[in-house]
Amino acid sequence: MREVLIPGVNSKKKQMCFDWGPGEMLVCETSFNKKEESETKPGCPFIYIIRKDIDVYSQILRKLFNESHGIFVGLQRIEEELTGKSRKAQLVRVSKNYRSVIRACMEEMHQVAIAAKDPAIGRQFSSQVSILSAMELIWNLCEILFIEVAPAGALLLHLLDWVRLHVCEVDSLLADVLGSENPSKHDSFWKLVTILVLQGRLDEARQMLSKEADASPSSAGMCRILGDLMRTMPVLSPGNTQTLTELELKWQHWHEECERHLQDSTFASSPHLESLCKIMLGDEAALLEQKELLNNWYHFLVTRLLYSHPTVKPIDLHLYAQSSLDLFLGGESSPEPLDNILLAAFEFDIHQVIKECSIALSNWWFVAHLTDLLDHCKLLQSHNLYFGSNMREFLLLEYASGLFAHHSLWQLGVDYFDYCPELGRVSLELHIERIPLSTEQKALKVLRICEQRQMTEQVRSICKILAMNAVRNNRLGSALSWSIRAKDAAFATLVSDRFLKDYCERGSFSDLDLIDNLGPAMMLSDRLTFLGKYREFHRFYGEKRLTDAASLLLSLMTSQIAPRSFWVILLIDALPLLEEKEVVFSAEQTYELMRCLEDFASRRPVWREPGVQRIQEDVENTKLEMLRLALARNLGRAIIKEGSLEGS
Amino acid sequence: MVSVINTVDTSHEDMIHDAQMDYYGTRLATCSSDRSVKIFDVRNGGQILIADLRGHEGPVWQVAWAHPMYGNILASCSYDRKVIIWKEENGTWEKTHEHTGHDSSVNSVCWAPHDYGLILACGSSDGAISLLTYTGEGQWEVKKINNAHTIGCNAVSWAPAVVPGSLIDQPSGQKPNYIKKFASGGCDNLIKLWKEEEDGQWKEEQKLEAHSDWVRDVAWAPSIGLPTSTIASCSQDGRVFIWTCDDTSGNTWSPKLLHKFNDVVWHVSWSITANILAVSGGDNKVTLWKESVDGQWVCISDVNKGQGSVSASVTEGQQNE
Repeated sequence: MREVLIPGVNSKKKQMCFDWGPGEMLVCETSFNKKEESETKPGCPFIYIIRKDIDVYSQILRKLFNESHGIFVGLQRIEEELTGKSRKAQLVRVSKNYRSVIRACMEEMHQVAIAAKDPAIGRQFSSQVSILSAMELIWNLCEILFIEVAPAGALLLHLLDWVRLHVCEVDSLLADVLGSENPSKHDSFWKLVTILVLQGRLDEARQMLSKEADASPSSAGMCRILGDLMRTMPVLSPGNTQTLTELELKWQHWHEECERHLQDSTFASSPHLESLCKIMLGDEAALLEQKELLNNWYHFLVTRLLYSHPTVKPIDLHLYAQSSLDLFLGGESSPEPLDNILLAAFEFDIHQVIKECSIALSNWWFVAHLTDLLDHCKLLQSHNLYFGSNMREFLLLEYASGLFAHHSLWQLGVDYFDYCPELGRVSLELHIERIPLSTEQKALKVLRICEQRQMTEQVRSICKILAMNAVRNNRLGSALSWSIRAKDAAFATLVSDRFLKDYCERGSFSDLDLIDNLGPAMMLSDRLTFLGKYREFHRFYGEKRLTDAASLLLSLMTSQIAPRSFWVILLIDALPLLEEKEVVFSAEQTYELMRCLEDFASRRPVWREPGVQRIQEDVENTKLEMLRLALARNLGRAIIKEGSLEGS
Repeated sequence: MVSVINTVDTSHEDMIHDAQMDYYGTRLATCSSDRSVKIFDVRNGGQILIADLRGHEGPVWQVAWAHPMYGNILASCSYDRKVIIWKEENGTWEKTHEHTGHDSSVNSVCWAPHDYGLILACGSSDGAISLLTYTGEGQWEVKKINNAHTIGCNAVSWAPAVVPGSLIDQPSGQKPNYIKKFASGGCDNLIKLWKEEEDGQWKEEQKLEAHSDWVRDVAWAPSIGLPTSTIASCSQDGRVFIWTCDDTSGNTWSPKLLHKFNDVVWHVSWSITANILAVSGGDNKVTLWKESVDGQWVCISDVNKGQGSVSASVTEGQQNE
């Protein structure tokens, strides 16, 4: 349980009020006792916005998130292809990829730390580097133990590599000493040789000894003997065909030979050389004397194993690990979180490793990716949690949720949710609606993601928000296209009504392109169909396709899809058609029109403001009279025309 | 790890009673005993005052943002017995509706899931709950549930929208038949669940009894696709209960005690994915709770008010992009 302190006014009377935002929490000082009279002292006017996972804001870590995302997705995709012998090799490769990403990030952060002008910032970055380094250390060990699953023999070699990778001072020291005029007289000469021996780099140690032998003939003999011992230490090399038992036997002999030299006091006159021999015999006391050079207990552990139990079996590791830790700390200090994590790994207790890492680290990146990889190695038994049916999913969900707090990293989060079969989809649904749609591109991106996943509810909701926004800003065309995309009939009707209202007021349509090219989307709502068809009528008229225009106009009136409020316009639109030289409306059509007219006249809609009504009504009445006249005239002409055609 | 990423100076002249982020986390609304409601733009760690809304004649207890599809709409309720609905039109915030149907302080307002339309529930110290439904063209229809709680109603919270029966996509244009439900907590120590009947009337569906003192807050958890409903309640008696109901096997709600605090618990709130419950317990603390493997609720973090000095954990707030 962690406590976070919010700075504030020192007061015992006030309480904290809070609420959740989409990705954060708000807290402020308040008093919950609802009384009208407030305290005489004004309260603290600050509101604090707090959040988990602030690492998403780090520029350098962002690269880590981006690149690891690529590795993660790649791993999920090749899952089906991972079979047989190559499976392990592939998984190890993935693991190494992750680690190299961590190292790259570490390197960059290290550069920034050095270059930082403000020492406080420099320290901050340095501590981040240490955290990343610890992460890589843990991951590497997990790779060796859980993914590589190195057997006895190879195990030690991997552990040696592991330790060597994490102690970098050796190489710079080596360069230093070798580069000097008289290497064997260098201050740190013996320190260097000791470290090399501790790390099992016996060839290089032997080279150093030969330099000492050259420089100081009195110890040449001893150096050569020790050098020989170094050269002849049996090691398991990759590709070596000898069995473990053979190796053990050889090693036992070698060990006895070293022991003999010690008994014979071969190196008695050189404390340095004698101490080295003791180290090579795995003498605990001698090793512990080198605590400073070893630097940490796991180095001590590996060196100890190298020189006393080189064929250690994985299942026995934890015993040596625990005792190494105890010996190294010597009761002076207690284990730190990192130590506990490594111990848990040596005990092959994966769950404990993940649990401790979750607690110790500030964001979910590490545990989410590592657990996912281990899950692919089929190492996690299903562990029924309330959120996420197993630990892998639980951690991925937490990690992905954190990504959604960021204005562009959320896109990575989408993929993580995709690979969470139980709650990934619903989590994505909840999060994706909350992304602020600050630009059209962003909105389109979000929509595409939803559409690809058939998240129709979210599509509808988002389109509706965008459509409403457009309507409020009078961008009717945009509003219409959003409602079509949302397949929202009700809203399409609303927007179409607005279009029609605009037309009534201004006599023209906006966004003609859109309306003209509706295509099948026209069918979404009756009102929309009417809008589209009405525009079509205008087009027919403009292209002088008068009979088509006439039929369309009539069908608009008879099909009942025209809103009542629009009827007068439709009727009046008939006028120019009736006044054409040629007869456009047939007799039957004319009868229809007349019927519509009388229908309309008897049920005039009252939808205008009262004051204007009188005048409007008068204008209307005049027009309708003209229409009656025109219709009558047309009827006559049509009858005659039809009669004559038939006759001749 | 939790850290402060932004501090907004609201300049309220008196106690702040509520602060709410909008749907996207870009705007912050606050209300105070100074009778004002303020709205800030808090993108990118900044704070810009967008509006200072006056209209209430007493301390304002709560604010609530409506779903963005209805525009930028905020509701506020106050000791002055009024509920005011504010709307942003053409860049400016104005009062768009005032509801004065209560005889006493209105303590809580909560917007219904957007799928139901624009509906606001209000709980008042006069014991009644009123429901305001926007019917278009600036009109709001009012339904009142009188004597919902004797002595007074302290909190209202809507259930998430779930389409009953099959989940087949409804043909476009047809509104699915939602069963609208909400929960209320009152001074009668009860939590009541309300359901809208087919005739549009609201009926008390259930009484949840477990508290021994006034219920101060109720919060219905967001839906995460599981067939269970969850409600959190907190009370003057210091207890916080988590109520769960298995939707498939009927309507029985079983309470589980989250924790017994030493002091009144005023407020409970679910994170948007419903996996963390925040509780304001005694001792100036906000505690965060999560359900663990074995169904036990575990406290995962404490957010505590400092006693003067800034603590070491509050340093990463200044990380630059």
